[in-house]
Amino acid sequence: MKKRSFAQIIFLLLISYLLIPIVATMLYAFSSKWHKTIFPEGLTFKWLATLFQDTDFIQAFGRSVLLAGGAVIIALIVIVPAIFVIVLYFPKYEKWIQVAVVMVYSFPGIILAVGLIRVYSTVGVPMILVVLGAYVIGILPYIYQGTRNSLRNVDARQLLDAAQLLGATKTQAFTNILLPTVYPGLFAGALLSFSVLFGEFVLINLVVGSRFETVQIYLMKKLSTSGHIASAVVFIYLVLMGLLTFAIAIVTKRSKGVMKI
Amino acid sequence: MSYIVIEGLHKKYDETTVLSNIAMTIEKGQFITLLGPSGCGKSTILRIVAGLTDATAGSIQIEGKNMKGIEPKERQVGMVFQSYALFPNMTVKENIAFGLRMQKVNNAEIEERVQEMLAIVHLTEKSNAYPKELSGGQQQRVALARALIVRPKVLLLDEPLSALDAQIRKKLQADLRAIQRQLEMTMILVTHDQDEAMAVSDKIFVMNNGEIAQSGTPTTIYTHPKSEFIASFIGHYNVFPRQTLETMIGMQLPGHHLKFAIRPEAVHIDKQDGDYCLSGVAIQSLMTGNIIRTTFKSDCVFAMEQLHQREQTLEIGKRYTCYVAKEDVIALL
Repeated sequence: MKKRSFAQIIFLLLISYLLIPIVATMLYAFSSKWHKTIFPEGLTFKWLATLFQDTDFIQAFGRSVLLAGGAVIIALIVIVPAIFVIVLYFPKYEKWIQVAVVMVYSFPGIILAVGLIRVYSTVGVPMILVVLGAYVIGILPYIYQGTRNSLRNVDARQLLDAAQLLGATKTQAFTNILLPTVYPGLFAGALLSFSVLFGEFVLINLVVGSRFETVQIYLMKKLSTSGHIASAVVFIYLVLMGLLTFAIAIVTKRSKGVMKI
Repeated sequence: MSYIVIEGLHKKYDETTVLSNIAMTIEKGQFITLLGPSGCGKSTILRIVAGLTDATAGSIQIEGKNMKGIEPKERQVGMVFQSYALFPNMTVKENIAFGLRMQKVNNAEIEERVQEMLAIVHLTEKSNAYPKELSGGQQQRVALARALIVRPKVLLLDEPLSALDAQIRKKLQADLRAIQRQLEMTMILVTHDQDEAMAVSDKIFVMNNGEIAQSGTPTTIYTHPKSEFIASFIGHYNVFPRQTLETMIGMQLPGHHLKFAIRPEAVHIDKQDGDYCLSGVAIQSLMTGNIIRTTFKSDCVFAMEQLHQREQTLEIGKRYTCYVAKEDVIALL
């Protein structure tokens, strides 16, 4: 019994340690004044309203969505078919994708940023496109895992064979059978990638900087001018991430239904 | 000319030879079984016939037409997979109708043929269920219906029943044979289960190490195994080296064959004129339902199988003299 209580206390302490900064930041986004008291002296929507009236924020938000969403769409168009072909027809080359996945994880953002600036700053390619390209490659692990696991769970090669023997072309088999079957895994991977890219700061800040202000750069600027506005930005970010996590949970649950087959 | 002719089929993966000089002739409406242990190349033959794998050498003709370079979807060959390969995003009805939709058959005909096929496989009430809502046996029947509805020239069955439990497997074996006879369809079944092969086939090709070890009707294969491999794989035969058997029966055997096989059920306790006699000590008795398998030790170990009858129960540790008819001693190559 004592052991259980001790474990519960440790658990509570850990949860408090993790949650207090988040809850405090969110409360700060709604507090009218919070200086010398334990709890806010009053609550207000003023900071959120100010934020949504600020065209800089709206534009930064739009840029973040555009950049993260664009990278995810490009990855889906370019990487997913490549993974399909390799996993289904050339499995012996899959190890090279795995090497690429590990490399993506192992390169620190700062090294990547320095490398990109040194190589591309003099060749005339707009640096935002360079960052976009780096983002596409950066989400390879999430897209690869999502796609590959879905393909393996349903024995995609055999589904493809069955569809072809029933008269379908490879394209028909892909669009009518494989895509609807692996869609939950693919969608979860895309959402995860989007949320990772939406919060990315190091690369965009070092390579492009304030020339292309995203939500993270906007947040960085606001930290030094208004704690309430910065907290409001964090609140919106957390709400967005919460929604994405919820969507991923629902999609993953659905994909587990497919796995039973 | 035969309906399906396979000649000189070879398949190599890198340096590994998977199939070597496979030749088969199959008549229209026959139920053929490729029987052999795992990894002997039987599924590879099916995949080559279906066009899903290319042969290294050799030819396949269906109704006199060479299949070289013909796409799987153009071959009019159906296939049922071990893992069913049902489309998880489609209902039973949609799965069965898929092949007809690809052929652009009109909706009224699709509906009629799907209902007909659902009735044949006894799944009418499950037409709107998704594959994950069905049992293994039901899923396999959907896979069978989906392959049959497009009226293929030949239906390939790649261990379709091996994932099912024994009772359902036996029921589906009977269903499969009945459907094959009803539709007069040519079917090629791949299995490693000799009982299944015996139960459903018109002709069996027994395979070993990428080659056909023996072919013939189930009766021929069972009663006249050519080699020790067939004798052990098909019927749990007692296999004796010539010298050992000659010592045990106390006389010379005809011919020059080095090994001989005797079916366990051909060994009996009651003497009949002209039988060879084998003496041995009963060391083990196993009862498998209606059959008792008794193992004897002599110059070598041999087994006898009898119907389960109380008065014939043998005592372990006691020496018995067993008998076998001369014609039941089969010379092996």
